Amino acid sequence: MSIQIRNVTKTFGSFRALDDVSADIPTGELVALLGPSGSGKTTLLRLIAGLEDLDPGQGSIRYYEEDITGTPVRKRRVGFVFQHYALFRHMSVFENVAFGLKVLPRDKRPAKPQIKNRVHELLRLVQLDGLAGRFPSQLSGGQRQRVALARALAVEPRVLLLDEPFGALDAKVRAELRQWIRHLHEELRITSVFVTHDQDEAMEIADRVVVMSQGRIEQIGSPAEVYHTPKTAFVVNFLGQVNTFDGRANGRVIEFAGIRVDVADGRDRDGDVRVFVRPHEFELSRTANGTPGLTATILRIYAAGSVARLDLQLTDGRLITAHVPQDRFAALYASNGDRVFASPRRVHVF
Amino acid sequence: MAGTVSINLASGSRAQAPATRDAPIVRWTLIAIALGFLALFLVLPLVVIFAEAFREGIGAYFASFNDPDALAAIKLTLLTAAIAVPVNVVFGVCAAWAITKFKFPGRSLLVTLIDLPFAVSPVVAGLIFVLVFGLQGWLGPWLAEHDIKVIFAVPGIVLATLFITFPFVARELIPLMEEQGTEEEQAAMTLGARGWTIFRRVTLPNIRWALLYGVILCNARAMGEFGAVSVVSGHIRGETNTLPLHVEILYNEYSFVAAFATASLLAVLAIVTLVLKSLVEYRVRRQIARAAIGEESS
Repeated sequence: MSIQIRNVTKTFGSFRALDDVSADIPTGELVALLGPSGSGKTTLLRLIAGLEDLDPGQGSIRYYEEDITGTPVRKRRVGFVFQHYALFRHMSVFENVAFGLKVLPRDKRPAKPQIKNRVHELLRLVQLDGLAGRFPSQLSGGQRQRVALARALAVEPRVLLLDEPFGALDAKVRAELRQWIRHLHEELRITSVFVTHDQDEAMEIADRVVVMSQGRIEQIGSPAEVYHTPKTAFVVNFLGQVNTFDGRANGRVIEFAGIRVDVADGRDRDGDVRVFVRPHEFELSRTANGTPGLTATILRIYAAGSVARLDLQLTDGRLITAHVPQDRFAALYASNGDRVFASPRRVHVF
Repeated sequence: MAGTVSINLASGSRAQAPATRDAPIVRWTLIAIALGFLALFLVLPLVVIFAEAFREGIGAYFASFNDPDALAAIKLTLLTAAIAVPVNVVFGVCAAWAITKFKFPGRSLLVTLIDLPFAVSPVVAGLIFVLVFGLQGWLGPWLAEHDIKVIFAVPGIVLATLFITFPFVARELIPLMEEQGTEEEQAAMTLGARGWTIFRRVTLPNIRWALLYGVILCNARAMGEFGAVSVVSGHIRGETNTLPLHVEILYNEYSFVAAFATASLLAVLAIVTLVLKSLVEYRVRRQIARAAIGEESS
């Protein structure tokens, strides 16, 4: 394990930003801390970096088995990329990247030509070798981001921490940088943690996702795991669109919106429950076919895109959304105002 | 630069758009009032100072500085500034650093207190020191016992000057450092830099123009302060007279040439300060603009 976080609590005044959080970050993985604003994800990242202090006596953080709870930031050898990059504005790109090497103690500091080589090597890695003489104010957002990354990598960090690395970029640059960061990670294999509030971003590039809410960790797992087998209502809600129903459980049978379905997770439940169905987990048909289905009227069809998206109105007036593969939708021969049956293939119950 | 600003104003789009242009009479009246005011209250006194100083020729002008009391006054003024400016640079940087980079109880009180010397009349400021350090003051008996003279001596003058000039550096630095935030320092920290290295290589380069601006203003005030210094000085010729006090004495003794010659030194200082100030102001404005642009586009 590269980073072990054990029972960490952090309060700011009376606000509890993190509440007894534990997590492991395996060596060489790219891990996303995912959550809405105020979920404590940035606080956790800054605690790992040492930019915030743990509440005294509240938990510990270890790097490679070494307890670094009381170690100052500058001795932790972390690479930190700030959301707004925090480049040194009075230094050129070259000077920015060289900074970490130039402030090393004299006996560890490389000679000037070596620093020069190393900086140019890093600038080549982030594809900015031609811009060594520019100042941060002369660079685009994406270029600044890459300078910040090269600067963080210069000190050969044990872990790389990125705070909303794509947050300040426009959509197109963002998508490119995502892919590029993933490739860079595969090349360097430095244990990396990044903070994001964008679930697509986390799902797309992370090996492992830590979903956070209100200072607690909701679930840790691979993107597929957290998406397909969410452990809490928050996780289902946060990771993509979902239809929500109130229902009643009786053993393994759940009753909601006038239908009864069996839940296949082998757990017995009783009483009031919340039932979640993802839009793509509805099977649509024009006639009742024996499987329990919700009777609905098509309000609107969005046919453009990889799937057809349908707004449906149930008989009790409630609205739901269903996503149907284009070929299935074509076979349905449905248009606005038609009646359909929506059978949930799968439900999540909490 | 002052020149640049006026050029910008003149070439602004407002002046070229006929629809939004004021009637010529309004424009010329306003310009005439502004320039007339400037001439009457700034240019005329300046001309008078130099005209009076050179009334009896260059020889008499320079002879006024040959007087030992005049030389002593120049020396004392330089000494006071040489102490007050560095001390206030250290204080100003510390205060600005503390206020902008940390959150601590009493932070807003400190911000308010920094402005105190601007709010208090200099005479009152001088009197405070007399009340504290004077013979009848709180510390007076103890000081007298140990044979330390503060009031009517050089230490009192330095103290009063320190008090009057301490807002200048801090007030220049606080807005800029607030704008710049602490992220660059934190970045330097993660890269392994120590406190002093961070200050020298990250913070200081970012604030250098604002700092210089503060130093120039602080220096001008330290050399030119009259009220507070007048109260604590005791006007002992050749010992506790600074340049402004010396001008007053000479004038009261009807030595007009010497008085205006000495005053001309202060006037030259003021002009040099104004030129430097405009130069540095221009750099600071550009820096703040750049910081703001950096924020926006990042």
